[in-house]
Amino acid sequence: MNLVAAIAERNAAELPGKRDEDWRWTDLRGLVREAPAPSAPFAGDLPAGRFDALADARKVLVNGGEAVIEIPKGASAVLALRLVGRGPGSHVASAAIRVGANARLTLLETYERDGGTLADATLTIAVAEGAAVERIVLAEDHEDAVSISQAEVTLSPAARFAQTVLASGARRQRLETRVLHPGGKAELRLDGLYLLGDKRHSDQTTVVTHAGAEGLTVQLTKGVVRDQARGVFQGRIVVEEGADRTDAKMGHHGLILSDRAEIDAKPELEIYADDVACAHGNTVGALDDEALFYARQRGIPEDEARALLTEAFVGEVVDRIDHEGAREVVRAWVADRLRA
Amino acid sequence: MAAVKQTVEHVAALEKYQHGFVTEIEQDFAPKGLNADIVRFISAKKDEPEWMLQWRLEAFERWQAMEEPAWAKVSFPRIDYQDSYYYAAPKTKEGPKSLDEVDPDLLETYKKLGIPLKEQEVLAGVEGAPRYAVDAVFDSVSVVTTFKKELAQAGVIFCSMSEAIREHPELVRKYLGSVVPVSDNYFACLNSAVFSDGSFVYVPPGVRCPMELSTYFRINAENSGQFERTLIIADKGAYVSYLEGCTAPMRDENQLHAAVVELFALDDAEIKYSTVQNWYPGDPETGKGGIYNFVTKRADCRGDRSKVSWTQVETGSAITWKYPSCVLRGNESSGEFYSIAITNGRQQADTGTKMIHLGANTRSRIISKGISAGKSSNTYRGLVSAHPKAKGARNFTQCDSLLIGKQCAAHTVPYIEARNGQAKFEHEATTTRLSEDQLFYVMQRGLSQEEAVQLLVNGFVKDVLQELPMEFAVEAQKLVAISLEGSVG
Repeated sequence: MNLVAAIAERNAAELPGKRDEDWRWTDLRGLVREAPAPSAPFAGDLPAGRFDALADARKVLVNGGEAVIEIPKGASAVLALRLVGRGPGSHVASAAIRVGANARLTLLETYERDGGTLADATLTIAVAEGAAVERIVLAEDHEDAVSISQAEVTLSPAARFAQTVLASGARRQRLETRVLHPGGKAELRLDGLYLLGDKRHSDQTTVVTHAGAEGLTVQLTKGVVRDQARGVFQGRIVVEEGADRTDAKMGHHGLILSDRAEIDAKPELEIYADDVACAHGNTVGALDDEALFYARQRGIPEDEARALLTEAFVGEVVDRIDHEGAREVVRAWVADRLRA
Repeated sequence: MAAVKQTVEHVAALEKYQHGFVTEIEQDFAPKGLNADIVRFISAKKDEPEWMLQWRLEAFERWQAMEEPAWAKVSFPRIDYQDSYYYAAPKTKEGPKSLDEVDPDLLETYKKLGIPLKEQEVLAGVEGAPRYAVDAVFDSVSVVTTFKKELAQAGVIFCSMSEAIREHPELVRKYLGSVVPVSDNYFACLNSAVFSDGSFVYVPPGVRCPMELSTYFRINAENSGQFERTLIIADKGAYVSYLEGCTAPMRDENQLHAAVVELFALDDAEIKYSTVQNWYPGDPETGKGGIYNFVTKRADCRGDRSKVSWTQVETGSAITWKYPSCVLRGNESSGEFYSIAITNGRQQADTGTKMIHLGANTRSRIISKGISAGKSSNTYRGLVSAHPKAKGARNFTQCDSLLIGKQCAAHTVPYIEARNGQAKFEHEATTTRLSEDQLFYVMQRGLSQEEAVQLLVNGFVKDVLQELPMEFAVEAQKLVAISLEGSVG
């Protein structure tokens, strides 16, 4: 049974748990003993969304619902999509997004779920030939939410898809992206950043399947955890038979700033073609003592030196965002988190 | 001219799996199948004390309640555990007292495999040549252990497991099953119930074992499984280097090899464990036959500043499924894992390591080189974890995969679990094929394609080969070449 069905049928026993290989570090079954009642319909007012000012179209899904979004051939749009959970309860939202040939879309997506929610969102994003999509996901759920997002992205040859997922965690939070990559000079960038404190948990999972020759994938995820927070990264790159000349690179780098925080990572390569260049790098550790020493020696107080180094560490991910307005919103959001 | 002769022999040897012969020898079998009576039969055959029998029976009971795991990236038809012999031993009169009493057929077998069992032959070499003591395990029993006397003078105990259970029960009881618990996993549990023989090593405090120790495992009997158990204990400040080699005849049926190896390193002790695994890999075209190599190997770096180093060259077996691991319990203890895994034909390998950091300032290093050719599949799976108390834990992992051919597969599945803020883990992995530029360069210098591939592959695995004891390194290098024979073009 999948997650959507488990939530819809309020069947807590069928929720994925640590015995499922893909969910080993994001145990829902062990956490949710009883599925909450369905979320009540919401009629009140919502505060303005973080990206509202940048968008020329807006869509809000509160406590479930469906959206179908079509960007016609050759068109260009900036869309703000908000997935909101108000009050406790469980729900599933879904969105189907089709981007026509040579169209351009900037998708600015936010997750804002209250404490006591158990929510999933399923998105399908189809990108036609020559189209370019930049997806920026900002997940700022309540610390007691159980918040899941599952996106299936299908690319056509010569399409471009760039994504940056930013997460501040929740009781359990998982942002999952699966991409079907046809090769054919299509380009994919999948970036992520998690900044976690208290007892928050966040899981960024990606699966990229290269099904055709000449595909390009670059991936960079970074994370900072402190207090008793737990960051999870799972990235899998599959190169199918015949997907020759695939060039895929994955990087995950985590920073643990307290003794009781945890980072779990699993960067996987699954390769069935021989003419490929695939690599991943993964590091987990504390701030570099020598860099700290250097900064302090130059008269920068220790706290400030730490903040500076941490900012520099995460800055790389933020800098890679193409959309200027969104990049600045994200930069401010990140700075707020790091100072908190 | 020696070089030419060697090349000629080498090329001739490339033809096929060289160790595929069968030794015709009278053997004792347990009745086919597996039940509590078979467990009792094995225990009785070995004249074991009651506690050992109880241990086995308990393991057997637990095993019956377990399910065969299926998470590895390997596929094979269900194993019928009742369709196999769990005990096969060459018939002997009383148990040989010395080498002269060992069945000449057996000696001939080992001679053919290039394993020196006669001490004088080992000694006949050039003065100062490295010597090593051998424990030869043939199907279910250890047939001979060499250099026992000389080792005893140094205080080192090196004998078969059956003998250790009889002669040194206090050591066996203290350590057996304490790093690989009986019900650790399906195959380890099966092994605990039916293990037949294996090697036992104890190196007393402060002793540096005067020679390399080695075990040579040979599966000979048809329809049988081999379940050996190895236990190595290096007491405080001791050092031992241990080698393990294995081969089996060519047969159309699959045979199961489910061993358990437990290592213990106390304070300041060091164990170096090297394996050259060359079980029969099955027919490269049809995939018929070959050994299922499902082995549990684990080291307990119990003492402070202890060190365990695993080096493995995996070229054989139809399926390899094993993860030599280190539990880094002692402060400042360290673990190393160097691996070359080569798959060709229709072989499957899912291998790697686990480094579990429990103590402060523990260090580990993983270098894994996987090569897949033909229609094979090769997976590196590894876990590096740091417990909250493992302050200052440090790991470096590098795993590189090389693909030769269009139909093979290479996978990398590393798990990293960092549970404290003072651990530092680094992991790098790459998957590529042989570089056309490098091949072109080498062939342009007059090497054939096959030679060029060999040269590049040797360069690729060099980091691991140089970790092997010298005499093994030479053998391993040849084995690498043989395993990849026929994979080019």
